Parts: sequence; C-alpha cells; structure tokens
Amino acid sequence: MPLENYALAARAEMTRKSAPIFEKLFTTTAWLSALLVMSFFSWMVFDIAANGFAKISWSFLTEAPLSAGRKGGISTIIVSTLLILAVTIVVAVPLAIAVAVWLAEFSRREGFAARAIGITLDVLAGIPSIVFGLFGNAFFCVFLGLGFSILSGGLTLACMVLPILIRATEAGLRAAPNEWRQGGAALGLSKATTLWQVLLPAAAPAITAGLLLGIGRALAETAALIFTSGYVDRMPASLNDSGRALAVHIYDLSMNVPGGDQAAYGSTLILIFLLIVINASAIFITNRILKARIQPK
Amino acid sequence: MKLQVYDRALFTLLAALLATLLMATVSVASFAQERKLVITGASTAAPLVAEIAKRFETQNRGVRIDVQTGGSSRGVADARAGISDIGMVSRALSGEEQDLKSHLIANDGMSVIVHKTNPVQALTREQIIDIYTGKITNWKDVGGKDGKITVVNKAEGRSTLELFLAFFKLSNRDIKAQVVIGDNPQGVKTVSGNPGAIGYVSIGAAEFEAQNGASIKLLPLGGIAATTENVRNGTFPLSRPINIVTKGVPQGLQKQFVDFATSQAVTDLVKEQYFVPPAR
Repeated sequence: MPLENYALAARAEMTRKSAPIFEKLFTTTAWLSALLVMSFFSWMVFDIAANGFAKISWSFLTEAPLSAGRKGGISTIIVSTLLILAVTIVVAVPLAIAVAVWLAEFSRREGFAARAIGITLDVLAGIPSIVFGLFGNAFFCVFLGLGFSILSGGLTLACMVLPILIRATEAGLRAAPNEWRQGGAALGLSKATTLWQVLLPAAAPAITAGLLLGIGRALAETAALIFTSGYVDRMPASLNDSGRALAVHIYDLSMNVPGGDQAAYGSTLILIFLLIVINASAIFITNRILKARIQPK
Repeated sequence: MKLQVYDRALFTLLAALLATLLMATVSVASFAQERKLVITGASTAAPLVAEIAKRFETQNRGVRIDVQTGGSSRGVADARAGISDIGMVSRALSGEEQDLKSHLIANDGMSVIVHKTNPVQALTREQIIDIYTGKITNWKDVGGKDGKITVVNKAEGRSTLELFLAFFKLSNRDIKAQVVIGDNPQGVKTVSGNPGAIGYVSIGAAEFEAQNGASIKLLPLGGIAATTENVRNGTFPLSRPINIVTKGVPQGLQKQFVDFATSQAVTDLVKEQYFVPPAR
C-alpha cells in the first residue's frame, strides 16, 4: 500500500514537471491544426464569394442560361438540381432506413447475410462516382429505357448515397441500449411500435448526419450525372426530361466554355448557399418527424 | 398530442411530394408527342451545338433537341449504334469511321502556349517534339532563360491529344509530362500560373483568354502566327474540324438540323464559342 502510494505520487510529480512543455506543445498543435483546416476552408469560401458575388442577382436566379451559360441565369439548372435531389431522397431514405432496421434489429450480427451485406455496403461506399455514372447509364438509361433523364440521375445518386445512409442509420440504431428494446417488450409493445416510437427517434441524430453527408455528396456530384441526367439546360417539364445539375453546369463552365469563369463562380456560390439551406431543412424535418416522439410532455 | 398533429401534417406533406413525383413521371407518356433529336459526343463541341439547337428550337415549334456529352468516340459510337440521331466529333473522321457522314460546323486551331513572361518567341517542330519527349528539359536549350520546363499534356481520350500526337507523329507513351490536364481552360490556367510551363490548347480559347488578361503567349508554328484568322484561311497547320456526323445521308428533321447547323445562320454562335466559322 505505501509502495503504491509512492508510485502514484512519483507519477503525479513527473506529470506535473513535464506538464508545462508537453501541455503547451499539445495545446499549440491542436490549435494550429484547427486553425489550418479553418483557414483552408475560409480561404476557399472567401475566394468563391469574392469572385462570385458580383454575378449574383435576381435575374441570375430567375433566368435560363444563355450563350452556353456565360450570360443569363441558372434558373433551369437550379430546378433540375432540386428535382434530382428530390428523387434521390424520396427513393434512398425509406430504403436505407428499412435496410438499416433489418441489419440492426432483425439479422444476427455475425450472421452470413448481415456480414455479406455489410461488406457490400462498405465496398459500394468506396466506389468512384464515375463507376456509378456508367452503371446508371447502362442500367437506368439503356436497360430500363429511362434515357437521359432526371429520374435516371436521381436513381443513380440514390444508389450512390445508399451505403452512407444505411451505415449511419444502422450505427444509430445499434447505439440504442438493449434495455430499451427489452423495456418495450416488457410493456407488450410490438417490435414495430418499439422501433417507431423508441429506437428510430433515438437514432434520429445519426440518420440526420447520414442524410447530410448523402445530400452533400449528391449535390456535389458531376461524374455520375453527366451520363445519367445529362447536359440539357432547358427547363425540365417532367422527371423524364434530361436536366443539367448545378455541379455539371459548373464543371462545363470552367472546363468547356472559354469565358465562363464568372458564371461558374456565381453558380458555385449558389450551390454552397443551396447546400446550407437544404441541410438546415433536412435537420429540421428529421428532428420533427423522429426526435419529437421521444420527448416527454 | 400537439406534436402528433405536427407529425401528421409533415407526413401528409411528404406523401404529397412523393405522389406528385410519381404522377409527373406517369403523365409524361401522355404528352411525349413532339419531334425529338438526340445529339451526343465531343464535350468541346457540346456548348456550341447546344446553342445551335436552342436557336433551331425557337425557329421550329414542337421540336426538341437534347445535347449530351461524353467525347468524340462516344459521338461516333452512339451515331453508329443509333442511340443518337447525330454525333459530335471534334476531329476528322478516321479511316474506319467512313461509314458515317460528317458535316463541318466549325474549325478549331490548336496552339502551343507558354507563359507570357517567357522570352522564347518561337519553337521549331523538332524543339517541340524534344521538349515533349523529355530530351530538352531546360528553357535555356531553346533560347530562353535558365529554368526547368514544365510539360503540360492532355489526358488520354481527349481529341486534342490525338490531334497533337498525330501532328507531331508522337505516341503518348513517349511523352514525359509533368502535368496532365483535361480541357482547354484548365490548360490555360495551368500555363498562366506557371512561368516554366508549356502546353497546347484551342486557339479560339487561348486567343480569348490572352486578350482577357491571362498570362499566356501563343507561339507561331512553322512561321505562321497562331490566330483565328490563319485557322479560317487554312494556313495554320495545327487545326481541327468540329464535325457533326450522321449515319448515312441525313433525313427529315435530322437533315433540317444539319442544314441549319452548317448554314450562315449560326456564324455568330460559332464565333461566340471562340471557334472559327468555316468559309461558306
């Protein structure tokens, strides 16, 4: 006992002695790293804002592109982008939640099926988006005959964001303590009710996080969309029309259109703004639908 | 209780959104009775052809033209397979592609570019070959300042690369490049940001960027200045045609569009995209 006390005291003494230098070094490194990342990000945003702000106007938002996007606005592009994203979310979210529920609640964790699906998802999550684009083109556009369309693009993106969404939801569900399931069973609740009333609300923050990642990936996507939703910058009349997404438009302006830089910067600024607005509403909606249930009166 | 009412309202909203999407999809079948053309191919040609298509649509009611990109090879393959009505190809058709009919809509010259501050005024054909194959790696060997040459090459699959290789009788494996880029504006950006760089891009794009303050210089080739004028009159050696191709003799709406795209009515659009209108 006295020996142990000695050892503890010696260690505490050592920590105290080395503390000033080590602590300072550690703190400085942490601060510098954070600062470095922040400055990269702010430099990027500042560059985009500084170059793109002049382009932003009411007419830029409400007019169709002219002269290959150099003049006019991006109204048609914004509409196409939102439609593609809507298809993606409407298809991917219910499917992802269903698969995640099966993985976390109905399958044996080390079972063959669960592991096979888990590995498949992890591989899918790491596949470059151009591969999804070529797959989407071959499957949705050609095989299913959907052609270059917003529907093809949205479905392709849905395939792309599914792994992220499923994994996030699954992790959220798994994090819910088992006592909650047992509590539900003890109260005589069905598995569905327990899920709907207790487990999914508990997983809401994880689902939201997955959704935000998915939306971010979908909005930023170029390669997967060039071959599926296409290049047409007309106002889409239906989901079967080809429609150019913002990211594709930005890529085309900066790569194929000489003198398209200004418009590209403007479009990028709008894309960032759109991302913030959509993410905020996604947080709001998932909170309302899922989290609200668990709150006591 | 209050919360549940909220939830129900939100669910109704989402369900309504879903229903609208589904209905929109189904309803398409009913009014797809318009005449439609699909054009696919070279990304260099796509902005121009899309603009021509827009003007064509406004002059011909009930016609819809969808332009999609993917490269010259795709333009050829799609037109041949009948996936598209018209293909876009930013080079002359090769020997094996003679089953397709090509229609010239514009010319595009390619120019070797260096940084504006580079004192080198011209390079011979041999010097360019030696630089691109890594035999010359310092500017002082070709009359410039002492400094390493940064060779900028195009990515595999770009028609500009094929044209460049064919013109200098090089194989892509021989090229020792420090930077590999995609499209023209990227080439201009890379060279203008690097005083030791050498690259090659469309003359139309390079001329526009140079006039708008990009720090690049267009080098003459074989004593002929790299200008759009010299591309039009056919004296500039390194140039390429921008073609639209059809499987066989164009017919009906296809013919109407090909005639329109090769007419004087689109000269202003060709110039607007920094291409050179062919002499008509």
